[in-house]
Amino acid sequence: MNVRTSALYEEIQKIRKRYPDELSAVMPALQLAQVEHGGWLPPDAFREVADALDLTPAYCLSIASFYDMFRLAPVGETVVEVCTNISCGLAGAQRVVEAFERELLLHAGETSPDGRFTLRTVECLGGCGWATIVAVNNRHRLRVTAADVPALVAELREKGSDGNA
Amino acid sequence: MATPEVVFAGTDGGAVTDIAQYEATGGFAGLAKARAMTPDEVIEELNVSQLRGRGGAFFPTGRKWSFVPKPEQIAKPHYLVVNADESEPGTFKDREIMLRVPFRFLEGCLIAAYAIQSKHVFIYIRGEYEQEFEVLRDALTALHRAKLLGDVTIVLHRGAGAYICGEETALLESLEGRRGQPRTKPPFPAIAGLYAAPTAVNNVESITTATSVLEMGGAEYSTLGVANSTGTRVFSLSGNVVNGGNYELPHGFPLKDLIYEVGGGIPGGRKLKAVIPGGSSTVVMTPDEVEQATLDFDSLTSLGTAIGSAAVIAIDDRCCMVQLGIRVSQFYEHESCGKCTPCRVGTHWLTQILQKIEDGRAAQADLDLLLDVCDRILGKCLCPLGDSDAIAVASYVDKFRDEFQAHIDHAGCPLGGSSSLEAVLAPVAVHGHIAHKAVPA
Amino acid sequence: MTTELVRLSVDGREVEVPKGTGLVETAAAAGVEIPVFCYEPRLGPPVGACRMCLVEIEGLPKLQAGCTLTAQDGMVIKTAATSAKAADGQNATLEFILVNHPLDCPVCDKGGECPLQDLTFRYGPGVTRMTFPKVTFDKPIPVSPLIALDRERCILCYRCTRFSEAVAEDGQLVARNRGNQSMITTFGEDPYRAPFSGNVVELCPVGALTSTQYRFEARPWDIQQIPTVCGLCPVGCNTSVTTREGKAKRVLSRNHPEIDGGWLCDKGRYATPHLDAPDRIREPLRRLHRIGLEPISWDDALDEAERLLRGAQGRIVTALSGSETIEQAYALGRLLRGGLGAHSAVLPESTSSALDAFRLPLSGIATGEIIVVVGDDEVVDRVPIVDLWLRKARRNGTEVIVYGPTGAAGNLPPGGAAAALHALTEPGSPLGKRLRASDRAVLIWCGPGGGGGARVAEAAHSLGFDEKPGCGAFHLAATPNGRGVAIAWAAAADEDESDPEPIGLLVVVGDDAAASPSVRALAERAEAVIAVTMFQGLAGGWADLVLPATAALERDGTLLNVEGRLQRLRRAVVPPVPDELAWIAKLAGRFDVDVSPHASVLFEEISARCFDGATAADHAELPPRTPYEAPPPGQALPMAVPPRPAEDHFVGELRLVRYRPLFSGPQVERVRELQFQRPEREIELAAADAERRQVATGDTVVVRSNGTSVELRARINRRLAEGIARIADEHAADLHPTIEVAKP
Ligand SMILES: Cc1cc2nc3c(=O)[nH]c(=O)nc-3n(C[C@H](O)[C@H](O)[C@H](O)COP(=O)(O)O)c2cc1C
Ligand code: SF4
Ligand code: FES
Repeated sequence: MNVRTSALYEEIQKIRKRYPDELSAVMPALQLAQVEHGGWLPPDAFREVADALDLTPAYCLSIASFYDMFRLAPVGETVVEVCTNISCGLAGAQRVVEAFERELLLHAGETSPDGRFTLRTVECLGGCGWATIVAVNNRHRLRVTAADVPALVAELREKGSDGNA
Repeated sequence: MATPEVVFAGTDGGAVTDIAQYEATGGFAGLAKARAMTPDEVIEELNVSQLRGRGGAFFPTGRKWSFVPKPEQIAKPHYLVVNADESEPGTFKDREIMLRVPFRFLEGCLIAAYAIQSKHVFIYIRGEYEQEFEVLRDALTALHRAKLLGDVTIVLHRGAGAYICGEETALLESLEGRRGQPRTKPPFPAIAGLYAAPTAVNNVESITTATSVLEMGGAEYSTLGVANSTGTRVFSLSGNVVNGGNYELPHGFPLKDLIYEVGGGIPGGRKLKAVIPGGSSTVVMTPDEVEQATLDFDSLTSLGTAIGSAAVIAIDDRCCMVQLGIRVSQFYEHESCGKCTPCRVGTHWLTQILQKIEDGRAAQADLDLLLDVCDRILGKCLCPLGDSDAIAVASYVDKFRDEFQAHIDHAGCPLGGSSSLEAVLAPVAVHGHIAHKAVPA
Repeated sequence: MTTELVRLSVDGREVEVPKGTGLVETAAAAGVEIPVFCYEPRLGPPVGACRMCLVEIEGLPKLQAGCTLTAQDGMVIKTAATSAKAADGQNATLEFILVNHPLDCPVCDKGGECPLQDLTFRYGPGVTRMTFPKVTFDKPIPVSPLIALDRERCILCYRCTRFSEAVAEDGQLVARNRGNQSMITTFGEDPYRAPFSGNVVELCPVGALTSTQYRFEARPWDIQQIPTVCGLCPVGCNTSVTTREGKAKRVLSRNHPEIDGGWLCDKGRYATPHLDAPDRIREPLRRLHRIGLEPISWDDALDEAERLLRGAQGRIVTALSGSETIEQAYALGRLLRGGLGAHSAVLPESTSSALDAFRLPLSGIATGEIIVVVGDDEVVDRVPIVDLWLRKARRNGTEVIVYGPTGAAGNLPPGGAAAALHALTEPGSPLGKRLRASDRAVLIWCGPGGGGGARVAEAAHSLGFDEKPGCGAFHLAATPNGRGVAIAWAAAADEDESDPEPIGLLVVVGDDAAASPSVRALAERAEAVIAVTMFQGLAGGWADLVLPATAALERDGTLLNVEGRLQRLRRAVVPPVPDELAWIAKLAGRFDVDVSPHASVLFEEISARCFDGATAADHAELPPRTPYEAPPPGQALPMAVPPRPAEDHFVGELRLVRYRPLFSGPQVERVRELQFQRPEREIELAAADAERRQVATGDTVVVRSNGTSVELRARINRRLAEGIARIADEHAADLHPTIEVAKP
């Protein structure tokens, strides 16, 4: 798009070469752009990716908006995602969600005003045997109970964004 | 109890992420064997083993590979695409396989690629699996350094959160850089798959098991398990059990033993109410059925359900089956790709009707409507996702009709708020409808 | 090549169709309908999304989407007519579709011509069992100033998005989100800004996408459809004009599979409002000294015209636009040349008859093997539909090689087309070899110069295309009927022209001629000027007599298109002014020249002389090829000046390519809804040139060429060859061919 982001442009050119058909690079490119833009995809991110892949921003949007892990709105530095699918649900995931809501003073789906935390419930994270699964910036915490939440939140608050040692 | 380990052999409970250690314990012997054979001989070895797909469809792996045309028949590059999108609720086996035996898995990729004469392997790994991605990435580097790849390239492609991308044609669309919406078949991937070229799509466990099949030989492997379901299977046990987790067991293992022996039974001495035997898409089982069932294709099929992805979910007596239906339907509604009408509209409608029943606002006619909508989804969709919702929900009504009836008769949930799934909060669509200013009239 | 036939039965009726025929077509052949929504073969392979086409096929347990299957020998197909299962399936699909579809047919523009409405009556459930609130959206929202989208009505058949992605390939209109959150959208608030956007309105099977021009304008039962052709470019896409109470309300495609494939560009589809432009001239005007133009009666106007014509004593020059019908040009020729011996004319760029030896239907482009496009202009700007044929060719695996400023094939300096083309015919040229070897090769000239395709014809000839019916050559002319006009003008008399000096009278015909700088230059030198134009703005300033013109939609007549095909232009609406032929005939009478006021009569005369008596029917045939005749040789190949390369401090100068955008010209300028399609005030730069100047897309730059300078917005065009810049004519002021570009 413009001179400033040519770093991203170059990175994407590398990704392009990985695939027999360059269109395959659109997902990795968007993933890269999302990191560059602090965890979400502002309109400029789409313009940059589109320019780097010779696509249109609209096309990139149609791809990104299909997948849950692409964000079209800003998220907190620390994204806490609680699985509430069957197995975690049976193991009391809802109690865990409520515990986070209490500790973070957020409703599920919200981002804290200070931009520190986003709390969400998500579909099966693939850890059902070790319920409840909580993903902190995509790092999975296993067997989380409501009782663990206060300590976990305290840890996240001090360790800062990721909290993953 | 001692059960044969094939997929997890040589790990004694741990992980083998060091290539030297893997080689020391006989690693890459299967690959060496395979490369000493002709591709057809490798495929024959799998036919003999009677290994069947672990992704859910249980399709014979050897036969699938044999469907891929020879390079001289179709002069396009051939592709092996590994399905590591593991997203079926209750299923978490592939993840542990990638974490604990990454080299056995990658070895399997090279064996499969050799068998279908492909130089390009793509591993589509679900985006939520970050640690798993890193383990594979490092293992791949080690493999590269060890010069074991030969002229084969293996590309790790990360998904971005969409269950439907586990469906093989949707996966291919996604991998090609499109919205992950299933394709109509024919053409089948074997003929026109990735980039419209011959492609084999296999599950992580199928591929990993192929390594063992070559190591021990197909005949030897086929002695494990039972007829029509040879070999071992990594069962994902979850829900209301004491020891949830993955357990590699031979096919034919009694379901009740998995739950009560291996799994340590139901916590708090509660009663088992129901079991989902093969992932959320399969027909639910009653405790009596559980007593008779063994974990293999024939037994579960004869009981009107399926082994699916071998994800066993135990449900104790605190769970309201209507709430279970809601949560399951919410999942399929959330994951519907939106391409075909019955699935896009029907899954949402089912959730609405179920919610109405749970809230005690439903009349008798709504129960009939629920089943009728299930019936109208079933067999009309482009891919099995919509069917899965209809099958699961219909089975809950079928096997727990009294409980559904009670919701209508007592205008509300008989468990009165004590259900384990009470008020469980499903994710709201991440990308919802957006507002726009209207055209000035 | 013989196609294998297969026998199968549909609802008990036996049919025989070529193997591989789609089941929808197969059923149709058996006289059975398989209802569809998403299925539309012109959009590429079937997607099987809507599930309206469910049928039962013997031997298969599940219902099948008929649109996704092809006829196999012995297949037994049962549709809703004979299979309760299929009937229930279709009923189910419609029930699901209607779950969220508002029942607002009475206020819906599609009402009365809506497939969903029709199929619901035939196959649908009588009552709804949906007791929950339907999904609601703000409605309707603007997809662009031309198109409104009502998302509540959308049934997500993805026809529109497939058109955008797989036909026009503009990537502007897309599906957003997943599952029941899915919806059709553009990028944020950006409009659907692309040359062919309007086709999605015609594709939409419900009232979701509607034309802002047509919304609430008419109802299917109070309109007429007039079959005609578009008169705005030399293709003449076949159209059907919807009129109500004598006014043109909309233009629809009348699919001609060889010419337009059922698509229209937005110019042809949406330009109609120019007929009612406020500055449309409705009565003759005469210049009064110091006062300006005054309206006069037609009788006075004809007297005045006669006076001016006689006064010039033959020192008359006629400037034609190339948008006239063959009959108009001929009638004028008979009057001016036959009656007044005024043979001198400024004719629009014509097309060489040498190309008739390489005739091909435009659809032949899509099935070509190798296609070479040469010229300075973008195809879409000159002859839009050909852009779609070329895209289809690419999708079919055809190799399309473009020699031009934005062509990958070569850093071709402006004006270098003829040289590039000539190089292909050199014995050494590898591409030339392959063109000679191919049975389906096509050459296309897209730009000014080249002797109106003469150079292409020469190349085609020396590459041996004469003997190969699958090979063709085209000249993409700049005007709708330039060739037809030239032929007709020539046919009107036999004497050759002699340039009068000084010019006694300049007769300017048509708005394009009136808008042309060179014609205006002539006007400066002329003692008097008669202008025949539609709009005040154009000739007002300098004409002594202005006669009102008609628009293509108001004319009966004949056009000769880019393929060399005669097409019938039918009057769709009655003009607010007398038809040109009527007053030309009258005027001719005053000079004792007999000119018929009837297009049909005039055409018979010309056809006898020029078109072997051919008649122009709707859906006219492409005439057979004629033997090749070498065209008059062009002057020595213009060796275009390559740009001066960059040096240390001097970033180098750029060669400017001016182009006339598709969305420009007197008609477009007068349509409010089309303004957003007109080119931005921007200059296109190659990435390297932009970088060298530290310029990014969006930056303002100063463009200089000795004397003049303009400020424009820069846009990096990664396809543009280094050393070349592009600016739309209307923004290029009087910049010279060599420019310097820098930050202010
Ligand atoms: C909705 C849906 C989701 C699926 N998800 C997965 C998945 O997450 N992982 C997987 O291996 N197969 C999944 N499958 C099955 C695949 O389509 C395919 O059959 C399988 O990957 C083939 O590999 P296999 O033959 O080795 O089992 C899914 C199928 C459907 C219809
Ligand atoms: S807007 Fe019309 S054409 Fe586009 S998806 Fe919706 S119904 Fe189909
Ligand atoms: S017409 Fe066949 S699925 Fe839409």
